[in-house]
Parts: sequence; structure tokens; C-alpha cells
Amino acid sequence: MKTLYTLIFTLLIVSQVKSQDTFLTKTGYVSFFSHSLVEDIKADNNQGVSIINTKTGEIVIQVLMRSFMFEKALMQEHFNENYVESDKYPKAIFKGNILNFEKLPNEQSTVNITGILTVHGKEKKVETKAILQTTSDEIILRGDFMVEVADFDIKIPSVVINNIAKVVKVSFEFHHVPYK
Amino acid sequence: MSSRKLKIIIGLVLIVIIISIIGINKYNKPHIDVRTSDVAFTFTPEKLINEYQQDEGIATKKFANQILQIEGDTYTISTLNGNSIITFNNETLVSSVICHLQPEENNKILNLKKDQYITIRGICTGYLLDVVMIECVLVN
Repeated sequence: MKTLYTLIFTLLIVSQVKSQDTFLTKTGYVSFFSHSLVEDIKADNNQGVSIINTKTGEIVIQVLMRSFMFEKALMQEHFNENYVESDKYPKAIFKGNILNFEKLPNEQSTVNITGILTVHGKEKKVETKAILQTTSDEIILRGDFMVEVADFDIKIPSVVINNIAKVVKVSFEFHHVPYK
Repeated sequence: MSSRKLKIIIGLVLIVIIISIIGINKYNKPHIDVRTSDVAFTFTPEKLINEYQQDEGIATKKFANQILQIEGDTYTISTLNGNSIITFNNETLVSSVICHLQPEENNKILNLKKDQYITIRGICTGYLLDVVMIECVLVN
């Protein structure tokens, strides 16, 4: 089943990448931030892939969980090994649509994005607003949204339950360029 | 206070101090130093990409979070937020190996000659459209 899923996804990516209406980035920025009374935890990832089909407004984003860099090595280890189980679920994937993409003006605008976010093998519908900026050679998309850790079946041990927020802020910034 | 009680108190305080030091050291343990750690596998870009294209699942289990060394002479150099990125690719490959370098490597990048054969070491984080490596350093 996993192989089939991977195959379908690869086909989807390849078919999109071949399209002339495709903008993409391989150095997309995604971060998450957890605030608690005990400590703040932040992790950054600069290796995200994001692909936009400018004809339909479809967007596919993939990030590797192992690419998230934490200030503390121990946090990074716990995140990968105990919480998101990166060996079992190496990627987070978002598949969705930028609504009314074709009607947007050629400058900065606020857009609505809806789609399915898959983390730790669990899917969750996400609806968020983002800033979309279009220039002649770049489509920039930036924004943030909140996710509940429990929605993704991520179990936090009771010892550190007060160290990690129940709701985590995810921020992103993608500078898409035309696919050649 | 008897000397026996005093010894027990001093002993307990010492145990608490030792446990705290161990805890703090563990909490603050440093990230893996790519420069001084052992290399798990050495590859040409073609071979590494091939491993991922044959079976991404197996390759992920084998290489993710491992220190890999990549050697080659066909690459492009770009920058992101002031840090260098070396992308190993050529026309025959559908994929690349993208190496995000540590900030300290910028000077070495400036001294590279065109098509110079290079060796890069870094932590493999997996495969999206390309193999991704982070925390990379130039070895030679």
C-alpha cells in the first residue's frame, strides 16, 4: 500500500513538473514554534519543495522531517525518534488549492488555501490565509497557521508534557520560480 | 547534629549535584560535528541517486541521518540566506544531490576552480525531488 501511495505521488509530481504552468522551489522555508511556560522550542527547515500549478492553483508541498534543525541536539533527537518517528514517516506533505488563483491581481494579495496536511501518517484538513506576491519571475507565498499536535497522533511523554505546546505555530515562505 | 547525619546530607547533596550535571550535559549535548565524525558511506552523486530511485524506502532507512561523503566534479553553486548550496547534477540524471553547506564553508567555496573535483560530507535527510544533505562541509 505504501509503495502504491509513493508511486501515485511520484506520478503526480512528475506530471506536474512537466507542465509549462509549473512554478517550484526546492529551498522552501518551513518552521514550527512551540511556546510553553517551561520553554520555547523552534525548528527550521530550508529544504522544502513546493510546486504550484498556475493554471489550476493546485499546490503540493513536501518537507523532510529530518531536515528540521533545532537549537538543541537532544530536542532534535526526541522529535525524530520519539514524536514524529521520522524513520517510519520521513515526510510531511500538504496537498491543496490556492482558491481563486486565476482571478488574483499581479501583485500582493491575501489568498485562502485549503488542503490536506499529512504528518506522522495522519491526515488533517487545513484552511489558512497566506500572502501571495507575484512578480514576472517569482511567485512568493508566505504565511502561518496553527496545528494541534494531538491531531497527528503524536504522543508526548508525561515527563515533558509541560515543555511542549498543545498547539504549534507553523510558518512558511516559498519563493517559486518557473520550472524549466 | 551527629557526624553520621552530616555525612548522609553531604552524600545526598553530592548525588543531587552529580545527577543535575549529567542532566544539564545531556540537555545541552552538542549537534553531531560532521567534520570529526565517521563517514557511513561514500558515493558518487549518480550512485546515491540510483539507490534512492531503486527503492526509496530502503535507501531512507539506510542513509537518513547518516553522514555521507559525495565526490564529483559536475555541480552548480548557489546561495540561500548567505549560505552556499552545491547541487550535483548533470544532463543524464533526472535528480540531483543538493548539499546545504555550513556558513563557515563560504570562503572555501570562493576558492573553488571551475569543474574542480570536490568531496563533500554532510548529513543526509532523505529524498524529495532530489537527495537532500544538510550541515555539509568541503573536505579537500
